[in-house]
Amino acid sequence: MASNNGGPWGSGPRGGGGDNDDDRKPANRRPGDGPQIPEIDELMKKGQEQLRVLMGGRGGNRGPGGTGGGSGGPTFGRGTVGIAALAVLGLWVFSSFYTVRPEEQSVELFLGKYSATGGPGLNFAPWPLVTAEVVPVTREQTEQIGLGGPGGRVDEGLMLTTDENIVDIDFEVVWNISDPAKYLFNLRDARQTIRAVSESAMREVIARSELSPILNRDRDAIATTVLELIQTTLNSYDSGMNIVRLNLDKADPPREVIDSFREVQAAEQTRDTLQRQADAYANQVVAGARGESARLLEEAEAYRAQVVNEASGEASRFTAVLQEYIKAPEVTRKRLYLETMETVLGGVDKIILDNQNGAGGQGVVPYLPLNELRRNTTTTGAGN
Amino acid sequence: MKKSAFIVPIIVLLGAVVMSSVFIVDERQKALVLQFGQIKQVKETPGLGFKLPLIQEVVRYDDRILSIDTDPIEVTPSDDRRLIVDAFARYRIADVVRFRQAVGLGGEAAAESRLQSILNPQIRAVLGSEGVTSNTILSADRSELMARITSQARTRAAALGLEVIDVRLKQTALPDQNLEATFARMRADREREAADEIARGQEAAQRVRASADRTVVELVSEATRDAEVTRGEADALRNGIFAEAFGADQEFFEFYRSLTAYERALQGSNSTMVLSPDSDFFDYLKSDQPRATNR
Repeated sequence: MASNNGGPWGSGPRGGGGDNDDDRKPANRRPGDGPQIPEIDELMKKGQEQLRVLMGGRGGNRGPGGTGGGSGGPTFGRGTVGIAALAVLGLWVFSSFYTVRPEEQSVELFLGKYSATGGPGLNFAPWPLVTAEVVPVTREQTEQIGLGGPGGRVDEGLMLTTDENIVDIDFEVVWNISDPAKYLFNLRDARQTIRAVSESAMREVIARSELSPILNRDRDAIATTVLELIQTTLNSYDSGMNIVRLNLDKADPPREVIDSFREVQAAEQTRDTLQRQADAYANQVVAGARGESARLLEEAEAYRAQVVNEASGEASRFTAVLQEYIKAPEVTRKRLYLETMETVLGGVDKIILDNQNGAGGQGVVPYLPLNELRRNTTTTGAGN
Repeated sequence: MKKSAFIVPIIVLLGAVVMSSVFIVDERQKALVLQFGQIKQVKETPGLGFKLPLIQEVVRYDDRILSIDTDPIEVTPSDDRRLIVDAFARYRIADVVRFRQAVGLGGEAAAESRLQSILNPQIRAVLGSEGVTSNTILSADRSELMARITSQARTRAAALGLEVIDVRLKQTALPDQNLEATFARMRADREREAADEIARGQEAAQRVRASADRTVVELVSEATRDAEVTRGEADALRNGIFAEAFGADQEFFEFYRSLTAYERALQGSNSTMVLSPDSDFFDYLKSDQPRATNR
């Protein structure tokens, strides 16, 4: 900023005093921002007030009393002058010391030129030659980008990808000060710079990425790349700022198309469902088939056992009968025959015809209505 | 008394003269000492400076990096697609003398508007130049384009005493009328993907089902085969057992087996037999004489 001290007349005592005042204020006010005891603040204000009065006095308004003490001014006595001098000294000492809290560092300027960086504790900057500014160094500060916050556009988060899709990104940059001197002297508007650099870096990275990886698997990689890009850019400004981390809060499709993305998710679910149903079917029928196979095999085994056992039994029975037959063949043979015929003929319809009687040509003509006989016994196959 | 009345104003006056002849340049500043508008001294390093009181004045300029955001402008890359682009530039007042001469009393506000009018045409020129398509802007070549804009803007801005540190593109967005078309395309893309997902799901399901059906047939047929083998073995075994047992006396086997067969075959009441009383069974039906003599 170009600051003009006004016309040649304006750069007189007022200008000088004004300069000092400007430089003092930050040193005294900054610690006052924090949890400082109000009395001290009050006291300091009073002290400054008095200082100004005294300076003014030296400037001429009450001159006769202040400096002309030797001549014995009529208004002030020696004691008063002594007290005033002591008060001035006390105020000077008081305003030359300042405290730096643990998370802060101070930058001291000797006649406007950078002289030293002060750490936490009580620091001494002899006014008005040295002035100090205190900046919070380790405190993390955040910038939200993409939400369209103060100064941001509503569509700030909408970014174009390399495949000409649009993605809605919100992220948060957390930063602190790595070098207070650089931070104070190299950049005018640190916050605005970090916002602009972050947005630019994110857009640059998004502009060379494709949509779908951004939405899921590349999120971490993008955050890392953007962080590095922001840091490199800030370093190129010698800004003394350090990016602590970058939180990618949101990387979503824009509101207008998000339904379609949900449909895809639903379709993925459907696909999964279909596959699972098919798997269930497969498991079911294959298990069924295994059961069926087992049944077939078991049945075959059963058949084998049955057939073999029956055969063995029948064979044994035959062998046993044969043994007996060998002992008395004729009798056994006859007995078996008769027993069997008894059983057989006992259960069937019998017609006994004497052939010999009919052989001579006379007697009954055997008329056998086979069809009718069979019709009586069975109801089917009559025509055959 | 009269003497002291003069001394005090003189001291005061002297103090005022001393105060107005020194000035402090802050670490953040550069200063020009002007005498009736004419540049007498350039103070670029911070610290204490001296000037003539009353007739010289100090003008301070910011030595830090300043920023400027350009207004969004519509550019037409060589593929005739339109893009809305805005950028920001970081610059610093490098040459205060030239800056003062170029900008005059306008200061930074004037410098900003001058820089704006340098940057916008540069952005338009670079992004609209031969071979730069919207795909180039939306690719890794973007940083190279930004470097080109920076270097061109740097040359032009040097005339203003400004050093352009960098120009970076921020927004490269589609105009509103193209936005809707893009959304429609994105939706269509997604719908295609959704349809594809479902089709793939059905394909996979069918595959699984078919394979399962095949497995079923394979398993059952294998089992059937094995079962038949077993049955065959069983039958063979049965034949062996019978052959061994019945081979002992073939004639008796025929007799015995025939009897068994008659018994089984002629069971039930569905048989009718027409018999002659001559059969052996009826030997004693007609007479009580032994069979051999009877015949």
